[in-house]
Amino acid sequence: MKQADIKEAAEALFNEQRNPFGAFTLGSETHHAVTIPDAVRRCRWIAVDINASAFGLFFVSPSAERARLVPCLDSDYPGVAVATKFISGANGEEIVRHTRNSTEPRWWTDDGIAAMAETFGNLAWTEQMAPLAPGTSGIAFPVHAERGQCGLVVFLGSEIVLPQDALYEIHARCFSLFAAVALMRPSDTGRMRAISKRELECLKLTANGNTSEEIARLLKLSVHTANQYLTQSTQKLNAVNRNQAVAKALRLGLIE
Amino acid sequence: MSSPAALLQSDTLGSRLTSRGDLTSFFMQLTAEIGADSYMLVAIVHDQDRNDARIVSSNWIFDAIELIGKRLIAGLAQGALTVAPGIRPRPLVASQAPETDGLITGEEARLLDVLGHAEVYSLKLNVGRQRLFALFSAATAGSIDQPALMKAQLKCCYALSHIPQLIAAAAMQDPLSDRERECLFWVSEGKTTDEVAVILGVSSNTVNSYITHAIQKFAASNRAMAIATAIRSGII
Repeated sequence: MKQADIKEAAEALFNEQRNPFGAFTLGSETHHAVTIPDAVRRCRWIAVDINASAFGLFFVSPSAERARLVPCLDSDYPGVAVATKFISGANGEEIVRHTRNSTEPRWWTDDGIAAMAETFGNLAWTEQMAPLAPGTSGIAFPVHAERGQCGLVVFLGSEIVLPQDALYEIHARCFSLFAAVALMRPSDTGRMRAISKRELECLKLTANGNTSEEIARLLKLSVHTANQYLTQSTQKLNAVNRNQAVAKALRLGLIE
Repeated sequence: MSSPAALLQSDTLGSRLTSRGDLTSFFMQLTAEIGADSYMLVAIVHDQDRNDARIVSSNWIFDAIELIGKRLIAGLAQGALTVAPGIRPRPLVASQAPETDGLITGEEARLLDVLGHAEVYSLKLNVGRQRLFALFSAATAGSIDQPALMKAQLKCCYALSHIPQLIAAAAMQDPLSDRERECLFWVSEGKTTDEVAVILGVSSNTVNSYITHAIQKFAASNRAMAIATAIRSGII
């Protein structure tokens, strides 16, 4: 199928859901957890709209030392694209640092086609960077999700069409895609047993620096009961100790 | 095809942003372009159980901020109507604010209305890992252009990315050294002191000293609280 045909078919089928400027609202189901194939499909619609030939979505690892891009999905799903291997390889350092500190898109051209440099060069707010994958051109959008997850959505191609006005819309759609992907990422949440209100209260107090004794006093429990609640919540969160339980509960948004 | 004519004034102002004054003129321009009357850029600072709002930049009149109070501003910025980039925003319309949603009482809604904020949009801004909030409001409900507002949200993110030093000063700074941050991250992943020592290739005494320093810098009372503070402010 030609690009134009794909675009037409996608529009006919999914126009209602594909564009946050058209249909996404706060309570919209489409924003919430999706499966990887759904996410690939949504990313493909974005790629079709800017006429990109390939795409990839990466998570930025939280560790400061081993700064790298962790591939999540790409246009060759369920396989892995060659460009993805390059991008998650050694060339990632600069863009990882950029993604942590800035939201501005970055682009590169390395395919010797002057038109791409011109398209990207005319865009306000964006800057050029070193090529992420040799012999290609593309643009990378930093994205961030609710619980502090960082990511990068990358589009590659030699015929990308991206007018200034569409830049914001495309980036906004990358944000909403990443929010959905970040929701499904913690793979152990699905089979997590429900945590009781009392257990959450104990976790929250722990996060605020209270010891078991203080929690027992504040909630009018015995120290053993407070400890029991904390042990149970640690188990339910699949954590190895209290510190990890607090971190997981915060990252999952169970406590504020 | 991108033509230079597609650039609005906010684009040219924003992409050359360097100082606080530039920030004000960028936001004033943006506010005008989307049909709003006022803007407020807010950083939320977590302080134990309470959220405190720090106003980075705003064109609200001083009395309005005093009357409405920081607590309500923090509530507006973090309320259920606040949206991340990519989700269509919904306004808080003061005259229709239900008293039941806990966000704002009828009295506060009337106050907002009288002060010229009949309609308030609250947007979350991601600047790298930092989070800020922008409130755009208009004296007449319905005068803010929603598609333009969604674009403005991204423009704000871009513009603020240009001035990290101003943003860091407003939000909570990251006081940790790289090593301290890394130790704290591994502890938050459930590793013990000895395990972290192996991971980083240093002695466990060194790890303990890094973590103690991190706890002191956050004025936390123990490891769990230091981890919670670091996660809440987006450091790890």
